[in-house]
Amino acid sequence: MSVETTTEAAPVPKKGMNILFGLTLLGLLLFLWLLLGVSTTSFWTSNNISNLLRQGAMTAILAVGQTFVIITAGIDLSVGAVVGFSSVTVAWLLQHGVPLWPAMGITLLVGVLIGAFHAFGIVRMGLPAFIITLATLTSLRGIGLLVTNGSTISISDESFTNFSRADFLGIPSLFWMVIVVAIPAYIFLHLSRWGRYLFAVGSNSEAARLSGVNVNRTIYLAYILSSTCAAFVGLLLASRIGIGNATQAEGWELQAIASSVIGGTSLFGAVGSVHGPLLGAFILATINNGANLLNVNAFVQRIITGVLIIVIVYFDQLRRRGSR
Amino acid sequence: MTGLHDVSHRHEVGAATIAKHPVPKGQPILELRGLQKKYGAVEALKPANITFLSGEIHAIVGENGAGKSTLIKLLTGVIRRTSGEVFWCGDAVQLATPNEAISRGINAVHQEVVLCRHLSVAANMFLGDEMNKNGLMRKRAMTDAAQAVLNDLGFNLPAAALLSDLTIGQQQLVATARAAMRGTQFLIFDEPTAYLTRQESAQLFRLIRRLQGEGVTIVYISHRMEEVFELADRVSVLRDGTHVGTRNIGETNDAELISMMINRTIEQIYHKETLPIGATIVETRGLSGPGFENVSLSVRAGEIVGLYGLIGAGRSEFALGLYGRQPVSSGEIFWQGNKVQIRNERVAMDLGIALAPESRRDQGLCLNLPIGMNINLPVFDRLSNGLTINRRREIDNADRQISDLKIKTPTRRVLASAMSGGNQQKIVIGKWLSHGAKLFIFDEPTVGVDVGTKAEIYRLFARLLEQGAGIILISSYLPEVYELSDRLHVFRQGKLVASHTYRSASHEEVLTQAIGV
Repeated sequence: MSVETTTEAAPVPKKGMNILFGLTLLGLLLFLWLLLGVSTTSFWTSNNISNLLRQGAMTAILAVGQTFVIITAGIDLSVGAVVGFSSVTVAWLLQHGVPLWPAMGITLLVGVLIGAFHAFGIVRMGLPAFIITLATLTSLRGIGLLVTNGSTISISDESFTNFSRADFLGIPSLFWMVIVVAIPAYIFLHLSRWGRYLFAVGSNSEAARLSGVNVNRTIYLAYILSSTCAAFVGLLLASRIGIGNATQAEGWELQAIASSVIGGTSLFGAVGSVHGPLLGAFILATINNGANLLNVNAFVQRIITGVLIIVIVYFDQLRRRGSR
Repeated sequence: MTGLHDVSHRHEVGAATIAKHPVPKGQPILELRGLQKKYGAVEALKPANITFLSGEIHAIVGENGAGKSTLIKLLTGVIRRTSGEVFWCGDAVQLATPNEAISRGINAVHQEVVLCRHLSVAANMFLGDEMNKNGLMRKRAMTDAAQAVLNDLGFNLPAAALLSDLTIGQQQLVATARAAMRGTQFLIFDEPTAYLTRQESAQLFRLIRRLQGEGVTIVYISHRMEEVFELADRVSVLRDGTHVGTRNIGETNDAELISMMINRTIEQIYHKETLPIGATIVETRGLSGPGFENVSLSVRAGEIVGLYGLIGAGRSEFALGLYGRQPVSSGEIFWQGNKVQIRNERVAMDLGIALAPESRRDQGLCLNLPIGMNINLPVFDRLSNGLTINRRREIDNADRQISDLKIKTPTRRVLASAMSGGNQQKIVIGKWLSHGAKLFIFDEPTVGVDVGTKAEIYRLFARLLEQGAGIILISSYLPEVYELSDRLHVFRQGKLVASHTYRSASHEEVLTQAIGV
């Protein structure tokens, strides 16, 4: 049922409209790859593809977490800051002699606590999601900078840093992490009752409450999942760059939100999927990657990304209206 | 847009400035010839010939989906017609945009108030037509002018108050005053009394008659027969997109109109069966909470307990308290003889209480989710095998309720927002049928619901009672609670002020107790 939730107000939704939309995005992604394959010599090299998959992987995981929150009609602006903060956390723990696995576990736990704090602010203090996550965005950067004294903590554990460079079955391990996150996320959102509750809370929280849905718990769940995904990405980033640095992942929250929206998530809530944001993230990564290969000025790249977001989401809106 | 001069002129004389139109009373002001609207292959309105006479009150009745709202949208320029002609004061007109309709003097007051809740009453009345001086708004002057209009209309409403501070009924009056102020010649009311208290309805009726006296043509759309007979000069009936006929009010009656509307006679809309009354399901003793005080009542298996009162009298608040949505400050609740604390909705549900709340839009439905998901929302935990939902059971449960309740939809995947009021109400009810509740609370279950669906809902009540459930029926519509309730409790200002057994008091008596005169 949730598969159909992205079809808006259609008197008779076409079967598999969402799947079709997924295919359209997939088509766009393949088209971009084809185009870049023709117009550059270096795109279809294993090096570049691995690089692209690594680039897209982290945004993709953030976007999935972000999507849970957006489906409840919320927003999580803190994810970029959580990524940076988590890289500092794990680096600091390793520096202080905490073994690798506990250090990673504690970092994820910090992610859980940050998410719980967001939900606490929303549910108990009555703050708008925008405000509480904006507040932690700036605070977490500050705490990270304080801990590192404004510099970076390098990570000497090689098994940790090697992970991000490793391949498994010829595919970068970072990309495997997307799958590790996406499969449970898909089961959670599309096959379990908790996923349904996210949609219900995003559509009409009062109706959900009167139907026996624990609205507060659902909100906690959404923000905890988002922050935990961000903490996980923080681990991946720390592994990739080999340092903990609070200023890393600047602006990634916007990348995550953009990926989610490109993937068909509605910022008004109650519409979204897991596969959409994944495709959205890799479309964004491809655009950046392609622009690099084509030697497009880095400043112009930003403009192109902005314009493409408008175009893609506009076409999505048209498609929805058309199906009405 | 009207200039400053125009507006200031208007406010001086208030509502009495309805422009004199050229069509003499009783002559055709708006004529529809073969007016038709198609959505793709679906004919929402079959070619209709209706003539509206200047200065008349013309009621339009029909079940949900009969084409009433299509007709309003055509007349107010919200949608374009597929074919046919419209003559306004004898001239062929397009009515292609809302602006065209408004500039010709055609306005509508909608059932759901479409004003800005965060602005003042005065600001809403002047919205889009503000009084300016040197590019700045003349706030004080507008407030005074609006107040003059409200006073003139006999509405006891403060023009400076925020719209959100008013009840829905009062907001409706503001919407009407707004339309009356704007030189309207042709005013359409779309079920205006659905959310009004009796007093507010009376005020509205006075206003409608007054507008009529000033030469305004009124189109009045309602489900309530007695209002049609009280107000209208003529009545047109729509059924399945067809204009079935128009009658002079003096030459028709309830039975004829209803049979025209549904093409079958309903011997008894209020389907009541006398069932053996069983054990007490729930009892409250001195229950108090926000908006209600010291309420003691009980519900037994097989009976309907009616709660009647004006909106805001504490009935819905009591229901929300009993359901655990609002905290109860004192008093006791006994469930099947055992004292219970209902701290939240989940506790209520687990005991076996089901609530179909007052507002379908705000409390009942997730409008932008599919019908099936709405129906299954309370029972997803029971449709799940551990981690995941059993897809087969999910589909079966939704489809069963859809066919049981005759919800008119091709599939469970249609969004709830695409459904008519009656069908939406069925979805709200359908949510609870698979839950196996013992006590059903129906809060205003038939507001904005057509006669046919009403009868279906009443039959459903009987079915639930036969299965041994008890029902609390909250309604502002006296004939409904009066005819259906085994016991009828009257609420006034948060207190239970009177109790009657079936038909043991007259309508007048009950009404007097509710109003407290």
